[in-house]
Amino acid sequence: MPALFLNILKLLFLALLFLFLWQVALAVRAHLGTGPSTRSRRKASEMVVVRGDGATVSRVKLRGGGHTIGRSDDADVTIDDPYASEFHARVGYQDDKVLVQDLGSTNGTYVNGRRVGAPVSVAKGDTVQIGKTILEVR
Amino acid sequence: MSRNVELGFLAAAVFLGALGIGMVEFTQGNWLGAQVALTFVTFSLAFGSVHLALRAWAPNATPMVLPIAAFLAAIGFIEVYRIDSELAALQRWSFLAAGAGGALTLWLLRSSGVAVLRTYRYIFLAAAVVLLLLPLFPDSWIVHGATVNGSRLWVRLDLPLGGQELSFQPGELAKVFLTIFLASFLAERADAMATVSRRIGPLKIPEPRHLGPVLVAAFAAFGVLIYQRDLGASLLLFALFITMLYVATGRAFYVGTGLALVVLGGVVAYEMFDHVQTRVIAWVDPFSDFTGAGYQTVQGLFAMGSGSLTGSGIGLGRPDLIPAAATDFVFAAVAEELGLAGSIAVIAAYALLVTVGFGIALRARDRFRKYLAAGLSIVVGIQAALILAGVLRVFPITGITLPFMSYGGSSLLASMVIVALLTRISHEERS
Repeated sequence: MPALFLNILKLLFLALLFLFLWQVALAVRAHLGTGPSTRSRRKASEMVVVRGDGATVSRVKLRGGGHTIGRSDDADVTIDDPYASEFHARVGYQDDKVLVQDLGSTNGTYVNGRRVGAPVSVAKGDTVQIGKTILEVR
Repeated sequence: MSRNVELGFLAAAVFLGALGIGMVEFTQGNWLGAQVALTFVTFSLAFGSVHLALRAWAPNATPMVLPIAAFLAAIGFIEVYRIDSELAALQRWSFLAAGAGGALTLWLLRSSGVAVLRTYRYIFLAAAVVLLLLPLFPDSWIVHGATVNGSRLWVRLDLPLGGQELSFQPGELAKVFLTIFLASFLAERADAMATVSRRIGPLKIPEPRHLGPVLVAAFAAFGVLIYQRDLGASLLLFALFITMLYVATGRAFYVGTGLALVVLGGVVAYEMFDHVQTRVIAWVDPFSDFTGAGYQTVQGLFAMGSGSLTGSGIGLGRPDLIPAAATDFVFAAVAEELGLAGSIAVIAAYALLVTVGFGIALRARDRFRKYLAAGLSIVVGIQAALILAGVLRVFPITGITLPFMSYGGSSLLASMVIVALLTRISHEERS
C-alpha cells in the first residue's frame, strides 16, 4: 500500500511541476506577444545618421522626390565618410514605400547588412549602411 | 499588476519546494516537521526580499524571471537536501545571501538604472580580471587561492579571528562583470566590427584588426585553462564572448572563427594537459576506466538510466552514490528521482528563462541594454547547456555549476545578480 501511495505522490508532484511550467509558458507567450510590432507599423518618416553608440548625429526627412546621399558637396545630404562615393545612394518615398537605391557606388550600399542591387523598400527599424555611416529608418 | 502575478507564481514555486522536502522527510521516515517549515521560511525570505525590492525599485519589470529562478532553485534544493542535509543547511544561508545580493543590486541601480554600469565599464573589466587572478595568489597571503579537485578556482580568506576561513569562487561573479564590460564595448564597436571589408568566395571577412579582440579572448580563455586547470570557466567565457559578438554584429564569420579556435585550442589542450585528456577519455569511453576516471560519468549514467520515465520518486533513489551529486551532477540526481519527465521540466524551465531574457533584450531601449540582457541570458543558457551536456555525455564534463540548482553560494549569488539586472532592464523598457 505505501508503495502505491508513494507512486501516486510522485506522479502528483510531477504533474504539479508541469502545471507550473505550463502556466509560466502561457504568461511568457502573452508577454512576448505584445511588443515592437505595434511600434513598427507606424509609418516611416525620417532617416537618422547614428553613431556607434546609438546617439543620433543628424536627421534626413524623407520626401517624395528622394535625396541623394554621398561624399560630394552637391549631394542633397553630404556625409563626411572616406568610404562613401561622391553620389552613393538615393532614398525617398515612392508609391507609399521608402525605397533605397544604390547609385553605382564603389563600396556598395547595405540594408540590414545585405548588399543592395536593385532598389529595395525599407521599413521602420531597418538600417542602411553607406561607407562606414549607418542610417536608421525611424 | 505585474508584481501580483509574480507573487502568485513565486508562492507556487515555494510551495513546490516545501512539498518536495516534505516528500523526502516522509520517505526517510520522518514526519513533516522543522525541515519543511525551514525550507518554506528560507525560500520566502530569499525570493521575497527580491520580490519586495522589485516592488520598490523596478515595479514595471516582467513578472516571469524571478518565478522561473525560484522553480529551478526549489527543485535543485530538494535534491541537495536529499543528497546531504548538512550541505542543505549551508545552502539555506547561501539562499538568504543571494536574495540579499539581488535586492542590493536593485537598490544600487534604483535611481541611475543600468546605464550607470556603462560608465564604469573599465572598472568592471579590471574587477573581472582581478577576480579571475585571485585564485592564483600564493597560500601565504591573507587572501589566497586553493586547489580543489585539481582545479585552482577557489579563493580562501583567512580571517584573523580564530583561523576562520571563508571560501568563494570568484569566477562566478567575474562572468557577470565581463558580460557588463562586453555589452558596453560592443555597443560602441559592433557597427565597425560588422562592416564587411572583403570577400573570399562566399566568405565575408571583416577587417583584420577587428579580429584582435577575438584573439585576446581566446588567449585569455586558454590562460584560465592553463593556470587554473578549469575547463568549464574557460569554455564558458569564450563561448559568451563569441555569442555576444554574433548577437551584436550578425556576422557568422566570428562564430566560425570562434569554433575553429575552440577546436584548435581543444586539440592543443588535449596534447598538453593530462587533466584534459582524462576528461576526454571519461567522455569517449567511460567504461574503459570504470573505477577511475570514468567513475563519475558512469554513476551518473546509471542514475539517469534507473530513473526511467517518471523516476524512483523523491527520496527513493540513491543519487548520493554519484560523486559531486549536489554540485556538478545535480541534474543526474533529478533524472534519477524524477525521471525523464522531471528532467524535461528542468530543461524547459531553462529554455523559458532564456526566452524571457531574449524577449527583454529584443525590446530594450538602447544597444547597451540589448546586449547586456542578451549576454546575461546567454551566460545562464550556455552554463546550463555545458554542464547538462556533460552529465548527459554529449560533451566532456566541464565541472561548472548548474545555475540556481547546484549547491554553492558563489554560483547562487551570481545567478541572483543576473536576475536582478535582467528585471531592472525590463523595468526600464516598460516604464
